[in-house]
Amino acid sequence: MSTGVSLMLTLAFLTLIKSVPIVYAALGGVISERAGVVNIGLEGMMTAGAFSAVVFTNLTGSPIIGLIAGIFFGAFLGFILGFAATFFKVDQIVAGVGINLVALGGAAYGLVLIFNQPGASPQVAQLGPEQLLPQITTGETALIVLGLLCAFGLNWFIYRTPWGLRVQACGENPRAVTDAGLDPLRLRLYSVIASGALAGLGGAFLSICEVNLYSDGMTAGRGFIALAAVIFGRWTPWGATGAAVFFGFFEALQYVLQGRISWLPSDAMQALPYLAALFAIAGLVGRVRAPAADGVPY
Amino acid sequence: MKVVLRLLAGPAGALLLAFVLAAVAMLIAGVNPVDGFSALIRGSLGGRRPIAETLVQTTALLFPALGVSLAFRAGLFNIGAEGQLLMGGLFAGAVGAHLAGPSWLTVVALLLLGMLGGGIWGGIAGWLRARFNASEIISTLMLNFIALSLAGYLVAGPLKSPLASGAETAPLLPNNGLPAFPSIGSLSFGDTRLTISILIAIATAIVLRFVFTRTVFGYELRAAGEAPEAARRSGINMPRMTLIALSLSGAVAGLGGAAIVTGVLHRFNTSLSPGYGYTAIAVALVGDLNPLWVCVAALGFGILEAGGLMMQADAGVPKDAIRVIEGLIILVLAARRYFATRATSAPI
Amino acid sequence: MRGIRKVYPGVIAVDGVDLDLLPGEIHALVGENGAGKSTLANIAFGAVKPDAGTVEADGTVGLVHQHFELVGRLRVWHNIMLGREPRKGAVVDVGRARSRVAELAERNGLAIDPDALVEELPIGVQQRVELLRELEREPSVLLLDEPTAALAPAEIATLFATVVRLAKRGTAILVVTHKLQEVIDYTTRVSVMRHGKIVARYETANTSVDEIARAMVGGELPQVAQREPTGVAPCFAARDVSAGSEGTTVTGLSFEVHAGEIVGIAGVEGNGQTALADAIAGMIPYTGSIELVNGGPMIARYRASMGIVPQDRHHEGLVLNWSIVENAILGRQNLPGIRKGALTDWRAARADAAAIVERFDVRAASLDVTVKTLSGGNQQKLLVGRALIGDPRFVLAYQPTRGIDVGAAALVQSRLIEARNRGSAILLISFELDEILAIADRVLVMYRGKITGSFTGSEIDRGKIGRLMAGLS
Repeated sequence: MSTGVSLMLTLAFLTLIKSVPIVYAALGGVISERAGVVNIGLEGMMTAGAFSAVVFTNLTGSPIIGLIAGIFFGAFLGFILGFAATFFKVDQIVAGVGINLVALGGAAYGLVLIFNQPGASPQVAQLGPEQLLPQITTGETALIVLGLLCAFGLNWFIYRTPWGLRVQACGENPRAVTDAGLDPLRLRLYSVIASGALAGLGGAFLSICEVNLYSDGMTAGRGFIALAAVIFGRWTPWGATGAAVFFGFFEALQYVLQGRISWLPSDAMQALPYLAALFAIAGLVGRVRAPAADGVPY
Repeated sequence: MKVVLRLLAGPAGALLLAFVLAAVAMLIAGVNPVDGFSALIRGSLGGRRPIAETLVQTTALLFPALGVSLAFRAGLFNIGAEGQLLMGGLFAGAVGAHLAGPSWLTVVALLLLGMLGGGIWGGIAGWLRARFNASEIISTLMLNFIALSLAGYLVAGPLKSPLASGAETAPLLPNNGLPAFPSIGSLSFGDTRLTISILIAIATAIVLRFVFTRTVFGYELRAAGEAPEAARRSGINMPRMTLIALSLSGAVAGLGGAAIVTGVLHRFNTSLSPGYGYTAIAVALVGDLNPLWVCVAALGFGILEAGGLMMQADAGVPKDAIRVIEGLIILVLAARRYFATRATSAPI
Repeated sequence: MRGIRKVYPGVIAVDGVDLDLLPGEIHALVGENGAGKSTLANIAFGAVKPDAGTVEADGTVGLVHQHFELVGRLRVWHNIMLGREPRKGAVVDVGRARSRVAELAERNGLAIDPDALVEELPIGVQQRVELLRELEREPSVLLLDEPTAALAPAEIATLFATVVRLAKRGTAILVVTHKLQEVIDYTTRVSVMRHGKIVARYETANTSVDEIARAMVGGELPQVAQREPTGVAPCFAARDVSAGSEGTTVTGLSFEVHAGEIVGIAGVEGNGQTALADAIAGMIPYTGSIELVNGGPMIARYRASMGIVPQDRHHEGLVLNWSIVENAILGRQNLPGIRKGALTDWRAARADAAAIVERFDVRAASLDVTVKTLSGGNQQKLLVGRALIGDPRFVLAYQPTRGIDVGAAALVQSRLIEARNRGSAILLISFELDEILAIADRVLVMYRGKITGSFTGSEIDRGKIGRLMAGLS
């Protein structure tokens, strides 16, 4: 195979890998915002997922347990944000920032407390072929496919099922939902929990699938890139997924180009995905419309 | 009961909560809270040197916190203080090794450069928001990472010091450092890291307070933050205000970066800030966005930061516990923020 | 409803109310703004829980809100079936939903397209959607909160025809309104609320508009200032103005307002008034010209000679968390008297605020109270006062008496007339035809973004204007 083609293939595969966490987080962002809650805390929920996945994998030796733990702890943080947003009616953005700090600090604290080494955890078992359908797929592929299924599922849920349609109503006009005899606060809470679970899953992928440890700050802003993906993708599941892959591409590009193009410094390359996100949110002028009640406590 | 809840949801409650949580964190770490707190107090206030260090940390937090407060007052969420701080420090550090002249002149120039660096960085986000309605929450955060990359590249490459082996700029010319904090009676601070930067920070706070309450610009800025639609209809140019507010916010944070470079490090490297820009958000909220109270809040957090090291060394409490506490404080204060002001006009 | 009581911070909204609704009757609940009617209706519906008292209903209760609570981005069938969507397994059975909606519409004689996107529908049709949503639940009691506020006279007749049909079928209907003529024309019984209590009950057949009005106000209606003769020099001119986008537009508008004249723009809400107001205020771009005669084009610089009362005092006019003083100079903070170099002259601002409070009867404990604590009427008086205090040559007043009590409304109208008598040119945009007829010298009718009629002095004829407002000629 010529180096050009193999390079393309590497790039393609790497894009998929790099996109997965962002896709999960972005899907979480979509459902949360559709329900009317701005979820700035995606970053923190990913961190919680990543860290707890490592802790529990270390504890039990099984990455599957770790994965579940990641989902659970992400959902837990989602519950905190959702609860604060719906029943205490806090400023969702400030609360999200708070969640991020709590998660980041908590993970750093936990690193010292549990593993006795600040900065990074020891290596743990990785989610590989042995854990899942052996001989059929690797852990990474499984989660990639799962990601696609989630996008499908979310799309179907939001647009075709009664509950999904009600969630849409929550984000546009919660008063209408109340009039219909339903509880928009409850719906919002569940949506944010779901978004936390998804983000947690994305974070777990980062720590126990792509690599096999947790290091301080490993989420590196992906939760926020996911938010950019939500906007770029116009608050639709497939749009957000596509946007997430777009950003993942830039991250993959950075890896592939590193070392190959001597005059482009690797440090500068690291900025690529963030620059991409910056351009993405700038590129949409007035054509985008968030759910009408997004961010407004009800 | 309601009164108690409202009180608890305010800065007083936040501080109480911090106290309780710190104790819990210590217990989790298997440390007697009494030992933990006494280590904290000793490390922050137990003598001339600890106090000096506390004030150093206070200053490092105060600048970005003032910047964040300004943006908040204008209705904008600046979570990019970290990057703006970094850029300010970068500008000062890059030039400081080569700028010769009378001390008072060069130091002022470096500080102004810091404001320029931070101001540009904040201005980018401001422009994106003004022109494209791009969420400043996302853009300022992205710019944080970009700043890190940019600074990292520069100090490992073009700006790398010929003297040091690590990635950093050449040290400042001896003339270009901030003078030490003046002696009080027999107490001198020449051997500590404390400089007049704390005085500059407090002066900045006073200036900001004056701007908010007495100037027309401050009035318009506050109107833009409190009631964007009413402000727009009253003739205030909202895009321009956004741009100016975020630039100014970044400039103040950048000033902080320059202060660290000229006062503490005497050079620039990317470990300039252990997250001051993020902690500054908590500081700004605890200070209720009022510049004078923000000073007090910064002092409180400065005590935590300075004492935290001692807490870790002496009592074995990991200092990351403090990050968690900061986050929880923000969560508690989020409730109060909603009661107090406007709906955010963030477009996401 | 028995013994209903509801208290909000600082105000007793409903104070010991008993109300019965009989099947088949059309019962009007009238009262000034702030009397408690909407609160009572919401309590009857169940959206608000009373602090005391009981509500009993023989079946479900439906409520059509004054400001519709629909989900704009969803389709008509979805809005109507929200919460009771027919299912096919785990998915919504769209076909069944649509046919149910079509059948419901037909049974009630209301034409509707189940697939339309609600936000694209005109207001009158949106109301139909809201109505159908309530009817879907087959309520035995139907509450209508200010149902005709956004309707043209023809649509009002259609609405009441539907209402009468429902009543004949046995539904008990409560109409919350302040339009007394409609009360006389369509209802069977009237209850009058004032300050949270029911102060009078009438059989509609035995009473009159005047009697009801007196009961509403508790005495004689306050007098409004008299118009005096003035000159006719043109002051403000709009020529061939087109502006606006989706939702509100004006095309090729041309008219003048003279000094010492009040020109009223009559029209049903949603016919371009907001686009016109925004263009004059400089908030949106426009083609054509808008000028102060002998003053040049209307740009922000001329705010000194222009006073604007915006439509929405809470979101467009006042900063609720600020004090009266701070609000008094909003929009005027750059005027020479208030601005001293780069600083704000707070002493001058306070003096201004005091003048406004005094001349416009703003009832407040002090100048430093937060505007949020003022009643709607006082907030509006502050807003109007701020617009008029500088003796502007031109005033744009958009719904200046929206949602305030009769006393405050009379004061606002008086002050506008006094400004007119002093030579200001006033453009009044209002959705209350009565208000325009009461104080305007000249009436222009707006329909679908164009001026379709102009009436001066004795030409002013309610019937003709009403027809033009509905797009008939």
